[in-house]
Amino acid sequence: MIKIFIDEEPVEVEEGTTVLKAAERAGIHIPHLCYHPAFPPEGSCRMCLVEIEGFPKLELACSTVVKEDMKISTKSERVVEARKAVLEFLLAEHPLDCPICDKAGDCKLQDYYDEYGLFESQFKETKEKKEKKIKIGKHLILDQERCILCTRCVRFLKEVTKTQELGVFHRGVHSCVNIYDGAVIENNYTGNLAEICPVGAITDEDFRFKTRTWFLKEGESICPLCSRGCNILIQYHAGFSRFELPKRVYRIKARENPEVNGFWICDRGRYGYSYIDEGRTDQIILNKIERENVLTRENISEYLGEKIKSVASAEKASGIALILHTWLSNEELFLLHKIFRKGLKVEKIFFADLPQGKGDEYLLTSETSPNRRGAQEIGFDIKTVDLDALAKGTDFLLAFGPFLSGLFSLKDLKAALDKIKRKVLFSPHSNELDSLFDMVIPVALIAEKEGSLTNVEGIVQDFQPVLEPPGDSLPEWKVLSDLGKELGIDSDFFKKFPTPETILSEMGKTIPFFKRKND
Amino acid sequence: MKEKVLTEHFGLENLHKIDVYQKQGGYRATEKALKKMKPQEILEEVKKANLRGRGGAGFPAGVKWSFVPPTDKPKYLCVNADEGEPGTFKDRYIMSHNPHMLLEGIIITSFCVGISVAFIYIRGEYEAIALRLEQAISEAYEKGFLGKNILDSGFDLDIYVHRGAGAYICGEETALLESLEGKRGNPRLKPPFPASVGLFQCPTVINNVETISNISHIILNGAEWFVKQGLPKDGGTRIFGVSGMVKNPGIYELPLGTSLKDIIFKHAGGMKEGKKLKAVIPGGMSAPILTADEIDIKMDFDSLIEANSMLGSAAIIVIDDKTSILDVLKVITKFYSHESCGQCTPCRIGNSWINKIVKRIAEGKGKKEDIDNIVRLASNIEGNTLCPLGDAAAMPILSITKKFRKELESQLQP
Repeated sequence: MIKIFIDEEPVEVEEGTTVLKAAERAGIHIPHLCYHPAFPPEGSCRMCLVEIEGFPKLELACSTVVKEDMKISTKSERVVEARKAVLEFLLAEHPLDCPICDKAGDCKLQDYYDEYGLFESQFKETKEKKEKKIKIGKHLILDQERCILCTRCVRFLKEVTKTQELGVFHRGVHSCVNIYDGAVIENNYTGNLAEICPVGAITDEDFRFKTRTWFLKEGESICPLCSRGCNILIQYHAGFSRFELPKRVYRIKARENPEVNGFWICDRGRYGYSYIDEGRTDQIILNKIERENVLTRENISEYLGEKIKSVASAEKASGIALILHTWLSNEELFLLHKIFRKGLKVEKIFFADLPQGKGDEYLLTSETSPNRRGAQEIGFDIKTVDLDALAKGTDFLLAFGPFLSGLFSLKDLKAALDKIKRKVLFSPHSNELDSLFDMVIPVALIAEKEGSLTNVEGIVQDFQPVLEPPGDSLPEWKVLSDLGKELGIDSDFFKKFPTPETILSEMGKTIPFFKRKND
Repeated sequence: MKEKVLTEHFGLENLHKIDVYQKQGGYRATEKALKKMKPQEILEEVKKANLRGRGGAGFPAGVKWSFVPPTDKPKYLCVNADEGEPGTFKDRYIMSHNPHMLLEGIIITSFCVGISVAFIYIRGEYEAIALRLEQAISEAYEKGFLGKNILDSGFDLDIYVHRGAGAYICGEETALLESLEGKRGNPRLKPPFPASVGLFQCPTVINNVETISNISHIILNGAEWFVKQGLPKDGGTRIFGVSGMVKNPGIYELPLGTSLKDIIFKHAGGMKEGKKLKAVIPGGMSAPILTADEIDIKMDFDSLIEANSMLGSAAIIVIDDKTSILDVLKVITKFYSHESCGQCTPCRIGNSWINKIVKRIAEGKGKKEDIDNIVRLASNIEGNTLCPLGDAAAMPILSITKKFRKELESQLQP
């Protein structure tokens, strides 16, 4: 560790740290546009210039490495003037079309102007004309006039995807980012380009003109669309309810986590969010049930407990069957394992997930659900559904998830399920399966509940609810916590109504894999 | 007695041919260096000679070479023959009149630093000179001065000529490296400096043509002799390129420290008939301008710095009283606006902005606040850019607006 001074405050940082990172550690934001922590410093935007004692010129914070006793000023008059100057240069040529720019509200140039600029424009000349709408990829539109030549996009395609579709063409004030002749940006990570663009030069058609950023709130979550467990931000519409909005979620963004996904997410995770708002079941569906008048989300567990108890106790293990999936959280799978596998000794436990997809060699895995590893670590033998074995001698079926319909024809499913006396489905989405069950209980998605997932590499990651579960939807863990109590299994554990937090800590006690460092 | 060093034999018929060059004592320095000297001795001699870079920055060549770290990686020499600074035309005289003198310098420098591949990055427009260099190189291979085991010393060297594609910025050493690697000629962020991370990420020495051409003379005649040709801290002669409104424009090899007044009025024959001296740009277009009464000055690195200008490439542009200073400013700002690589913000947009204002003034639409605005913008470019092009552009603009403000103001709308 070495000691430096930033704005006269002593700061201890590791040797080899850059001024920009050292300042960030000290809670001082040095404005920057071209610098992105994923790439080596570029030094071209000149926004991060700072004053360092003993240096005649202003120096770049992004690339200058700190030295013992270095005295750095990030707020001196010279620094503030230089920052203003860079902003003035950029804004001279940048179109002032914020009212129709999707980046407005989320734009670094706009933010910095608010913070350091606020000058009257002295630019009385004509701005350069460049291309305004170049389609560079499936979702991506490039506006060269808005571009400030930070080259983050060019460097992303060079260093991350290594596909190099974009380059800088021409020179001087005519310089512009453009796509090489005949090229199209086609890879699994294109959406990151719009996200790392500090201004509105690359916009995303999935988001373009759909809403304004200031109507959105965001919450941290984990992407469930493969087993990588990329950290994401879910941006959703909040308030302004006088408009009938078609959906809640408007955008998924990457959230930095060096251990899991670095700074990026794949296009599947970014654009595949429609499942959150589309095709949801939000009411309990009762097809064939005795007590329909009184069944609500409050007494579901009571009802289920009663039915499970009614399976003749000698046949309990063989009379009950379970169909699970690996979108369930660690906690939910643990409760299921505790109640059914350990408690009731049920052997007919099958898993119905989406079929395997195509992974890549970077983030996207071939598994299409987020918690297969968690299910394995908890002790489940992940067997796919065998309809004959499922139906044979089964009195009571508890099925989770909508994925069964993708695995078998409706006819085969109906034939098998008709042999089972009672069957209940927990699903967030409605589909043709619904009619085959006595009742369908709507459940929350990962974006709507609390829990944890174990990614493909065995990293356990928590998530918190970002959105409200729609209608009567419940998180599965709530139903299962109640059900455990109802059935009187491990009463010490269940009587306290376990929550995801206490469940995970219980898991750590019994399964070493889930033991956390600070437990 | 001070004498001509580099241009001594210029004009001799077929000097560019190796036989003629050898008759004048050519390649004796190479033989001496490779057979009788150790690399360390050569380095000490060059350091003692106080040979400062002739490209513009004036960095001592020996010191630059000594920055090359010991390494297992290949090392490279790049000779900067991009000669793009407006007003400068000395290197092309050296290369076309006496290419072997340059090759000798390359051989000795490479031997000294431990380099086995050297490049001459030559300005694209110098097509005929590039061909002449190629011919000289093949002659040198034939005579065994290039290739494997040169003069039985165990030292190998290959030289390649690489033609640029016409960008001023590629004369900036790191942009030159990028261009040589086949990329867009954008300057690199420093550090690391090319001496440690240069061409293809390997340690690289980059020197100007004139700098390298002095090496054989230092080896042959010694550092002491070389220092005597110039000044103690600034050894050797300098090739001054005089252009503009003088009677005899051309190149003049003179000792460093020769007075600017003498160069213009004695060596270059004074002003053309009927012309009066108005201003001089003393070191290539990026050097701050001197007015007619500031020319009683010694032409060496330090004296010009004292006068708030610079020796740069020693290209002297003489401006007469009939030339409008606004026209001078227009040419300068157009050049830098055109040649900015566009990588960093202040240079990319600042130079274009200033040029747009100057053009507007020239159209008769200048406003009162325009000069102040130009000064402000140029000051915001100076010192804040990624490479020296920003300063190179700002310095002449700032000096012209300061020294000729009245004349510029007279061009504004009332």
